[in-house]
Amino acid sequence: MRHATLLSALLISRGAIFAAPGSVEFNRDVRPILSDKCFHCHGADAAAKKIPLRLDSESAAKADLGGRRAIAPGHPETSELMRRITASGKPIQMPPAYSGLKLTSAEIDTLRDWIEQGAGWQRHWSFIAPVRPELPTVSRADWPKNPIDRFILQRLESEGLSPSPEAGRETLLRRASLDITGLPPTPAETAAFLGDRSVDSYEKAVDRLLSSPRYGERMAARWLDAARYADSNGYQFDGEREMWRWRDWVIDAFNRNQPFDQFTLDQIAGDMLPNATLPQKIATGFNRNHRANTEDGIIPEEYAVEYVVDRIETTSAVFLGLTLGCARCHNHKYDPFTQKEFYRIFAYFNNVPELGRAMKYGNSPPLIPAPTADQQRALDAINARISKSEAFLREREAALREASARWTASQQPAYWSPPSGLDSAFTFDEETAPGRFGNAAAFDGKRSIDAPEKGAFDIDDRFTLSAWVYADGPTNGAVLSRMNDRARGKGYGIYLKDGAMHVHVTSNYDDDAIRIDTERKLESGRWYHLAATYDGSRVAAGATAFIDGEPAKVKVGMDTLYRPFRNAGAKYKEPLRIGAGGGPENRFRGRIDEVRIYSRILAQDEIGALADLPQYRPFAARSRFLEIGAPSDIREAWRQLADLRLEREKLERTFPTVMVMAERPSPKDTFLLVRGAYDAPGEKVEPGVPAVLPPLPEGAPNNRLGFAKWLIDGRNPLLARVTVNRFWQMYFGAGIVKTTEDFGQQGEWPTHPALLDWLATEFMRTGWDVKAMQKSIVTSAAYRQSSKTTPELQQKDPGNRLLARGPRSRMPAEMIRDQALYAAGLLVEKVGGRSVMPYQPEGLWKDLAMQDMYYEQSRGDDLHRRSLYTFWKRTIAPPMMMNFDAANREACVVRETRTNTPLQALNLMNDVTFLESARFIAQAMMKEADPISHGFRLVNGRTPSARELEVLLNSYRYHLDYFADEGKAKAFLKQGETAGDPKLESRQLAAYTSVASLLLNLDETVTKE
Amino acid sequence: MNAGRSLHITRRQLFSRTSKGIGVAALSHLLERDGKAAGAIPGVPHFAPKAKRVIYLFQHGAPSQLDLYDYKPNLAKLRGTELPESIRKGQRLTGMTAYQAKFPTAPTIFKFSQHGKSGMWLSELLPHTGKVADDISVIRSVHTEAINHDPALTFFQTGFQLAGRPSIGAWLSYGLGSENQNLPAFVVMVSQGLGGSQALADRQWGSGFLPTQYQGVKFRAAADPVLYLSNPEGYSGTARRRFLDDLASLNTLKLDDYQDPEIATRIAQYEMAYKMQSSVPELTDLSKEPESTFDLYGPDSRKPGTYAANCVLARRLAERGVRFIQLFHRGWDQHGNLPRDIAKQCMQTDQPSAALIQDLKQRGMLDETLIVWTGEFGRTVYSQGTLTEKDYGRDHHPRCFSVWMAGGGIKGGTVYGETDEFSYNIAENPVDVHDLHATMLHCLGVDHTKLTYKFQGRHYRLTDVHGSVVRPVLA
Repeated sequence: MRHATLLSALLISRGAIFAAPGSVEFNRDVRPILSDKCFHCHGADAAAKKIPLRLDSESAAKADLGGRRAIAPGHPETSELMRRITASGKPIQMPPAYSGLKLTSAEIDTLRDWIEQGAGWQRHWSFIAPVRPELPTVSRADWPKNPIDRFILQRLESEGLSPSPEAGRETLLRRASLDITGLPPTPAETAAFLGDRSVDSYEKAVDRLLSSPRYGERMAARWLDAARYADSNGYQFDGEREMWRWRDWVIDAFNRNQPFDQFTLDQIAGDMLPNATLPQKIATGFNRNHRANTEDGIIPEEYAVEYVVDRIETTSAVFLGLTLGCARCHNHKYDPFTQKEFYRIFAYFNNVPELGRAMKYGNSPPLIPAPTADQQRALDAINARISKSEAFLREREAALREASARWTASQQPAYWSPPSGLDSAFTFDEETAPGRFGNAAAFDGKRSIDAPEKGAFDIDDRFTLSAWVYADGPTNGAVLSRMNDRARGKGYGIYLKDGAMHVHVTSNYDDDAIRIDTERKLESGRWYHLAATYDGSRVAAGATAFIDGEPAKVKVGMDTLYRPFRNAGAKYKEPLRIGAGGGPENRFRGRIDEVRIYSRILAQDEIGALADLPQYRPFAARSRFLEIGAPSDIREAWRQLADLRLEREKLERTFPTVMVMAERPSPKDTFLLVRGAYDAPGEKVEPGVPAVLPPLPEGAPNNRLGFAKWLIDGRNPLLARVTVNRFWQMYFGAGIVKTTEDFGQQGEWPTHPALLDWLATEFMRTGWDVKAMQKSIVTSAAYRQSSKTTPELQQKDPGNRLLARGPRSRMPAEMIRDQALYAAGLLVEKVGGRSVMPYQPEGLWKDLAMQDMYYEQSRGDDLHRRSLYTFWKRTIAPPMMMNFDAANREACVVRETRTNTPLQALNLMNDVTFLESARFIAQAMMKEADPISHGFRLVNGRTPSARELEVLLNSYRYHLDYFADEGKAKAFLKQGETAGDPKLESRQLAAYTSVASLLLNLDETVTKE
Repeated sequence: MNAGRSLHITRRQLFSRTSKGIGVAALSHLLERDGKAAGAIPGVPHFAPKAKRVIYLFQHGAPSQLDLYDYKPNLAKLRGTELPESIRKGQRLTGMTAYQAKFPTAPTIFKFSQHGKSGMWLSELLPHTGKVADDISVIRSVHTEAINHDPALTFFQTGFQLAGRPSIGAWLSYGLGSENQNLPAFVVMVSQGLGGSQALADRQWGSGFLPTQYQGVKFRAAADPVLYLSNPEGYSGTARRRFLDDLASLNTLKLDDYQDPEIATRIAQYEMAYKMQSSVPELTDLSKEPESTFDLYGPDSRKPGTYAANCVLARRLAERGVRFIQLFHRGWDQHGNLPRDIAKQCMQTDQPSAALIQDLKQRGMLDETLIVWTGEFGRTVYSQGTLTEKDYGRDHHPRCFSVWMAGGGIKGGTVYGETDEFSYNIAENPVDVHDLHATMLHCLGVDHTKLTYKFQGRHYRLTDVHGSVVRPVLA
């Protein structure tokens, strides 16, 4: 080939390295050119643009189009394609000038050679299932440590390169520790490793690291990026949400080495598995991690579509390495996916009973309570006590029956109400109007009975309201309320409106409320018992109206509550009002008696008793006996049981919730959306998978569960490849396919295609064993190489794609912070839990966020947790993380990026986190005989060279002079809230702190070397 | 270099160590430029630019065009009448007024008068803008796709309603590179208004899928104008210099051993950080500004963090060659009490905005600086809530609003585009957000169809597949 050298140089320069020896290979050499430069017009979407020629199909590209053929195999001179790409000027030149695309002369030569060699065609490589390749033969048979190395070495040998020697043992242990656990080795671990002379000492170290719970945290960090995990909703208001139970599920799944196919299945459709467990349901939070819009005035349907699109974009990038989202508005421009196929996948994810406008604060349905293990234990304990109490009463029931009847007969009849969970009671016996029981309060259309501090519930609370009502004249006006005393105010209440009983919980009258009206109309001039319950679920279905003790049929006026009455911090201050609420024009006329307010939901028999329904009178009588008439041990047991139930409810209310996937009872229709617009439905589509990929596995249902089974089916050519490629990226900085998010035709050709297929088939062969795969990679000779480079190697392979040396790259953001805290002995290791708020520059949220969002910095331990537990507010992400290229968690990110900027330098030098760490490293240094070497080992896991020591020692001496001014030393040592050792002399400590800070700023320190 | 001779190498020694060949390119690229913009993409600018930089005055929350720029004298007599269906045409409203029973026409209560040689009509709320009427070009026919703040602002900043794409400032720093050596190419400043404030987000100046070095750096009014800029208490600049020299020595040893050019880049970035430690405070320190500056920008300009002070800083950033300077002023979301609140907002912004034009002009810099003033959408002609003699509110209105541009490449004194008599629909010459973007890029010598970045297999551009340059406003 006349241009082999030129071609490979060019390819290297654009970052894509592939061997160019021998003939042109379609998938490797030709398809990337056609895809990037031609498919935008002559691809899958050509028909829509009325372009007759398609170059993405062999038959179309070689077809006779009226005497001309775009590609005439063997004959570049008669191929129209060659004429066009070598022509200049309109209308012949291709690609046309307006496209902004250009073919290089090397690309033109490649196409010419390819046609000359017969224009052989191949299906796109990644759509063909991987076949386990033979291990290649290599000349340096002593180098490979496992099959991976045979592939790497073969490629190096074909390029005339040789591998680097193994990295020093200290360097190697640090590399593996950082990669597997996200933390560096301790000096003791390094010493032990250096002292271990056994042949498998490295393997043993790797096993130790893989079995550490830190491994799960390290693996989860990248998974959280891919799954766009965050602690806030995103978009405008960006209020807090609670998805950390899902985050903890991920950590646990990695730590117990859940097979990757099960890990996938649980996250996509765990809720639909038979007898789904709580963890399986929690796992589906994966596809609820997307942003959710809560802005007032949005059109919910518009965002409901965006959520489904996000699920497809994320699911396809993470599990398939495809950019299916590109087929939302039109057929995919590059890959063989039609717009219709996009909406067929859409249908799998479109059946969630969710809100287009999400809750302003907290989680949006569907959601489930997700108790932690500790909470579950506490719940089990209370339940056991409840069962015991119940059994105690049940065993004595028969014996007490007679006593109960006797006691009841001896008593004056009285109105009985359950004592448990009672917030307030108004009997009105001091009033003078005749009541339903004793006296009642009379209302004249002006009166309001106000009770401050009573019924102080908010939209997440559960409550019951109960009252007897007798209307005079028109059946209108407020019965009970806790709301602003003006029209359209916020709060809750019961009122009568043209005879209907109206129950509302209102945050904003126009667009943020629950309102229900009974169909039944009340009449004036007689007593009714009215009750309402609300379960804190924020939806109308959670509110029930009762008339005379029976649930009433209602019409729903407004369905959803998005934000609490109170804003964060400020208590909502309104009294409970009887006979009033919602303004002077809404006062009641008539009588009200026996008002009861409960901070729980009463059961039907309790409400029946309050309504004095005949069928519930025995229940009321028996309850009254148990409350006041029974022997003391029985009374005590009855009261205790009620208390335990309250306690259980209180405990349950503390359970974190997690948003999960769920299915509507009857499937929602899905339509192709014209141009992707929510309000332009086209033809109706059925769920289905793209035609170019294998069909659903035999017997799988055609729903989200079937889709999940299809993903993990052995015939899926993508899942294993895409997954091992992302693992590879974690260790070597770039994937074997560099475009980890795109295995389509615009994706990059793999540097080692056979290795990728070997890894993929090995992954499946081992039952998707994730830890085994990590171990294979880190124990390979390729991984163990020294990462030193040379100018020659640098020129030949600047991105180290061929791996003639070990990986060397700046550590990810979270690892840099975690390492500093760990080296300082400050890191608080506790797996999981609610997200924490460590140090952050003052006022960062205040400048940008809306009024009720504050950053409340944590105290104590929570200042020093691993970074994956840091509260992630999407619109104002933690600045240190963003400075160091963390994924922004707005949408799925699977490709790691690294920049090198002055803001990173400022961050490491001046951020309190790193200065406080430096202070504690300095303290540790001062307790050792050779402080500087010790500090160096803490941070870099190795002993410094004599030259390095000399620089550091000189630096220490300089700073010792500098801090002779004690004021400076004391000021410098004030960084961070954690108190240090007061016995240490401040001048020395300050000088060592400066040295420790220097260590934390070294290139080596922030680099996995 | 033989480190054995002296461990403590000087910066000059470091940067002259060309023998090894490694990293020198990176170093000289970052530190020893010959006046050309660093980091520009080859071939950009595509043609001779009129402007070198942008000052983007973003009025966040969406100011009312009806009360500021879009003069509708005939509306007064329609006061309180229902907005005709022939005008509203059943177009979508936000969920906040969609259920409102009446849509009473609310003409502005503010007086308009003509200004400058061009006779431009402007509201009495903008007396200072009136003085520069002949320098600005008002486009009254801008429209957008989004009806709510977050998607609308995201659209204005990135050309797309959903988060994830690079902001316009990031696109320009990526395309044109930086013109200064010790400040970021893209700087953002936020000031607080006196009306309803909407949330902002870091991603509004983010780099999207472009590398993060192109993201905007937010300058704050706090002690640290740039996060982590100041040395800790008790640690002087001299100590920091020594620290950095020691750091460079150690990193150089590593570079010699490993030959990884990233190490050289890191050394250079620490030098850049050090320069920023002096250049940023020097920049934000207004104490050496003469009295005349504060007279020109108004009394607020003495208070750090105000819009006026940020306008002074914008001029200082422009003087120092910062490519893209973006101000956000919050508080324009007047759903109710509009007359009271918009007057306050104008008190804060009118004089400094006009002063910026005058100031740049007197320094001979207006020709090379493009200034853009806009909100994310407009506001409705009908009143949200009750219309009274002196009070009304206005809901979001994406269908038409006013924007002005001035400076490099712009023809001053022009009014372009027209709305119908209700300022509800566009009557003539519609301009969409992509067109505005295309025009801004054009003034900087960038063909918006050619500034692309490949991500997930697609060649993305700021204007997606849309946008055409609004030539009538060009000089």
